[in-house]
Amino acid sequence: MDKEILEHGFSWNRRRFLSTMGMGVGSLALGSLLMPDLFSNGGIEEGLTPGIPHFAPKAKRVIYLFQNGAPSQQELFDYKPKLREMNGKEMPPSVRGNQRLTGMTANQAHFPLVGSFVDFKQYGNSRAWISDLLPYTAKIADELCIIKSMYTEAINHDPALTFLQTGSQQGNRPSMGAWLSYGLGNENKNLPAFTVLLSRGVGNGQGVYSKLWSNGFLDSIHQGVQFSKGEDPVLYLRDQEGMDRKARRDMLDNIAELNELSYQEFGDPEIAAKVKQYEMAYRMQTAVPEVMDLSKEPDDIVKLYGPECLVPGTFAANCLLARKLSENGVRFVQLYHQGWDQHGNLPFEIAKQAKDVDQASAALVTDLKQRGLLDETLVIWGGEFGRTSYTQGTLEKDNYGRDHHPRCFSIWMAGGGVKPGIVYGETDELGYNIIKDPVHVHDFQATVLNQLGLDHKKLIFKHLGRRYRLTDISGEVVKGIIS
Amino acid sequence: MNKKVRFFAEQLLIVLNIFIAFLVLFADKLVLPYWLQPVGRMHPFLLHFPIVLLILAMIFELFRFSYGSDATSPYRQYAEGFLLGGALLSGITVIMGLFLSREEGYEGDTLVLHKWTGVAIFYIASLIYMVSKKQWYKAPAAWLCAFVMVSALIMTGHYGATLSHGEDFILQPIIANIKAPVVPIEKAIVFEHVIQPILDKKCTGCHNTNKLKGQLALTDSLSMLKGGKSGKLFVPGNPDLSLMLERVHLSPEEKKHMPPAGKPQLTQEEIDLLALWIKDDADFHKKVTDLEAGDSLRLMATAVLKPEDEGTEKFDFSAADEKTIAKLNTFYRTIAPIAIESPGLDVNIYNRSAYSVKQLEEMSDIKKQVVALNLNKMPVKDEDLKSVSQFENLRRLDLNFTDITDKALDALIPLKHLHTLSLSGTKITYSGLKQKIAAFKNLKTISLWNTGIASTDIAALKQGNKEITFIEGFRDDGKDSLKLNPPQVKNAVMVFDQDLAVQLRHPIKGVQIRYTTDGTEPDSIHSPVFDGNTVINKNTTVKAKAFKAGWYSSDVATFDFLKNSFIPDSVQLLFPLNDVHQAEGAHTFFNKKLGVIGANNPAWANYWAGARSKDMVLVSLFNKPITLKSVGLHYMLEENTGIYPPALVEVWGGENEKQAKLLLTIKPSPPAKGGKPSLKIVEGSFQPHSVSYLKIIAKPHKQKKDEHLLLVDEMFLN
Repeated sequence: MDKEILEHGFSWNRRRFLSTMGMGVGSLALGSLLMPDLFSNGGIEEGLTPGIPHFAPKAKRVIYLFQNGAPSQQELFDYKPKLREMNGKEMPPSVRGNQRLTGMTANQAHFPLVGSFVDFKQYGNSRAWISDLLPYTAKIADELCIIKSMYTEAINHDPALTFLQTGSQQGNRPSMGAWLSYGLGNENKNLPAFTVLLSRGVGNGQGVYSKLWSNGFLDSIHQGVQFSKGEDPVLYLRDQEGMDRKARRDMLDNIAELNELSYQEFGDPEIAAKVKQYEMAYRMQTAVPEVMDLSKEPDDIVKLYGPECLVPGTFAANCLLARKLSENGVRFVQLYHQGWDQHGNLPFEIAKQAKDVDQASAALVTDLKQRGLLDETLVIWGGEFGRTSYTQGTLEKDNYGRDHHPRCFSIWMAGGGVKPGIVYGETDELGYNIIKDPVHVHDFQATVLNQLGLDHKKLIFKHLGRRYRLTDISGEVVKGIIS
Repeated sequence: MNKKVRFFAEQLLIVLNIFIAFLVLFADKLVLPYWLQPVGRMHPFLLHFPIVLLILAMIFELFRFSYGSDATSPYRQYAEGFLLGGALLSGITVIMGLFLSREEGYEGDTLVLHKWTGVAIFYIASLIYMVSKKQWYKAPAAWLCAFVMVSALIMTGHYGATLSHGEDFILQPIIANIKAPVVPIEKAIVFEHVIQPILDKKCTGCHNTNKLKGQLALTDSLSMLKGGKSGKLFVPGNPDLSLMLERVHLSPEEKKHMPPAGKPQLTQEEIDLLALWIKDDADFHKKVTDLEAGDSLRLMATAVLKPEDEGTEKFDFSAADEKTIAKLNTFYRTIAPIAIESPGLDVNIYNRSAYSVKQLEEMSDIKKQVVALNLNKMPVKDEDLKSVSQFENLRRLDLNFTDITDKALDALIPLKHLHTLSLSGTKITYSGLKQKIAAFKNLKTISLWNTGIASTDIAALKQGNKEITFIEGFRDDGKDSLKLNPPQVKNAVMVFDQDLAVQLRHPIKGVQIRYTTDGTEPDSIHSPVFDGNTVINKNTTVKAKAFKAGWYSSDVATFDFLKNSFIPDSVQLLFPLNDVHQAEGAHTFFNKKLGVIGANNPAWANYWAGARSKDMVLVSLFNKPITLKSVGLHYMLEENTGIYPPALVEVWGGENEKQAKLLLTIKPSPPAKGGKPSLKIVEGSFQPHSVSYLKIIAKPHKQKKDEHLLLVDEMFLN
């Protein structure tokens, strides 16, 4: 019997095979009619028009006050009285676990815990603990969402900074600002969507490189534009002596014609990008002086931001400028303030660093608020990782240092639809591990994008056969901090 | 069944099998032409037929081995007919369903489940049809198939119904009764709408009038005031002394901890709410809006009462024509949808010089769609706002630092959706606002910073309009005195040849700079006020300090002005400089570029010429003889890093190399241990001497084997 069944199975003749298969192939053909892209190679990701938010945004703009070098959370926001109690005692190995250390402390025989030299007090409705080093920040506690449970994967400055800014520890990916420029476009077509401002404090500094505001594989119009402190805030923007607007216009028109010819011949999209940049630069020639003009600022502003705000190149001046750029529709203003890398001499250096940034950071939030802009502007303050609860080197009576610590660090956000007056996340009593609501760098990035009306899983660019996101392949919006 | 029909139907089943596999495999790439969409939309209609047929077929399958053992019996004919028909129809339904799923508005986990269970039904039905003729297909197999099929039908049907009717459709009337209705924030009462729901969720399961655990009921205000076995529940105004919170705060292992172990615990937010409510005197009638705008209880209650996720606001108007929007978009007027597929438009206008009221008037074609308009800092006049009033759906309007006055408000009153209005830096007055604010029915937030409205008046406005948040902002009341930053020097170069007008400045308006040139610290009484007329003609250290009323005076700023009368016509170093401190070689010393302390600064790295193992010997030649009276070297001192003064300076000069005489010898003392880093000058004078050839020798410090670094950036010949 089995043999017959088997033979029956084989007894398909050619005609039957072909007619059945023919119908099968026909049905495939029919199906493929409905799939125009089945055999094409992809290209620009369809579905989402770049330039428009995926859903109604809470924030339209971001100002990121990056504290480069990794400010010590134990001296600023993460109050750990237990560390003072245990000052000088050895860090329990069980807490550290198998955490890798930097080359700077890996060979240390002892890891004495060190309590903060500075006192903390509670502020605002959330009774947030804020250090005495930040008196102005403390005054705006009710506007702040302090996250004490940030963590990252990198342990050294450059990879950590690159990771936070681009979602990858190696350079070459677009920076957060470039992604926003790509996802949301320019609000003000006379200014770049992404600008960068640099300043440095007296503390031990770490490098900041232009790769951090790179457009990566995105169009070069999304690259961050650095504003510098000199006579010319944007380099090469000023016309040479003797060149009037008309001559400049004619020149640009002629170059554009040549570029158009070149574009028709080669079809390189970067040529079109270049033309756009020239045109933008032309409009920036009038827009930038209007933004930089401080003469119309009310006198109170100087008291608010502190006197340094009128000294170009200082953090305070950059905060004021950030507000002016943001107010003028710049999507992403990225500040970097160097000098927070206190491996040694921490008490002295961090006090000065904090003094440099405290008043102006708080002023920026207040200033945005009083203009009714805080609800649509997201302000972020923080570094690339945290610092250790134990001292680097030997613990002296009133001097110590702290090494890099990726397992937890504190940042704050304000405005932009983030819950005001809350403290999110917790670390253990030695401030070494997170015990509640951890926020990974990708979670943070997903949340920032979310506030701007972008779904981080849909903000995609296809490059070299792979779909790239700022959050790579992970990240969850932190629901607990958004209102 | 007619054999031909049956053969055709079987062939069709094979086709469907392949077609559906294909569709499912490439579902993401499916793009549906509009004329096929109605086919997809027939899915909810057609699906009932395969359900009925397949259920019938499965009933037949159950009893097939009792009644239909004969393959030709009518029973089997019907059974197979139903099964084949059901399989075919389910296949068509699946295709329609896949089409429908490509339309907008279908996504999520339920869809995925529905899709796969639906596809499974089709393949199970096909499989049953194909295997039912096999020898091994016996009663248990038939029952199993029937069971799997019916389960799949139920699941698919359920997910499908969820898709079309929504979650919990059937139980909705019951659930809706349980869920608290959403209360508008203006009407919400703190206890009833915020506190009671917490108690209902976590406490009243035991503490109700029926169960009365611990003789306590938390179901109404009277019972709550009464308390329980252990006494009063709370002390109004004092959460710390209140029994309720005491129990809540006990460690969870404690027997008296509430809610008891194993029951759902209170969240931190809920505990905070209870504490804040008690702190606010445990009032049972107070409205949320009766609380101060910044009050914690109000903020938290508002957050709780807010609907879970508003998403993108739905508007009741249709979208504007895309071409119109594109046409209206200019370099100075950006118009963009607030989100993909939202008809609402967000308009920003930039550049003062490009502004005119026309920019507003031109937007009449999109007047319904504009929901946000930003005119900050534009020279907007009162009459321009007539053009703003056309935007009937406007939600948010930014008019900071525009030229408007109270009159402008009239034009805004008709905008009944307006909820956010920014008027900072305008000429709006208290009297104007007081009269008209009540007419803004929907207004939630208004910014009034820098308007000249007094704090007391804003307080009065707040008092009269509790539903509105008034943003007052920072005001310099003079109480918070800050320290001025020090004066700055404006001179581009600090090295001069004959005389120099000192230029000092301060970035803050109205600051007085006082200075000294004798090395003493300037004070606010005796030291001269800097007026721009200070001219110096020799090396001078200017100390300056800034003063202004309402500010603490600045730190002293010290500026060294250095005189160098002669620049050699040619210079040459006899020995190479230290590898890493090359600066500009021999030209370093007369380029007027001064180095600084601090290795991170380019002026440190690039302006210092250094010598360590070899002496620094500079030969300068002059085409015309000069009369030289003194020579000086500007050097850096940083004891802790081993940057030392020269051990010896010798100056040789004359008509030429051979006739050069030793004019000057200086031996600066080595630095004190632990001294602060500083910039210094070593200088010496001699009898005026005519010089065409000049040789300056500076020897670095050596202590036994320790060679110290000598850094020099400028030399001064006078």
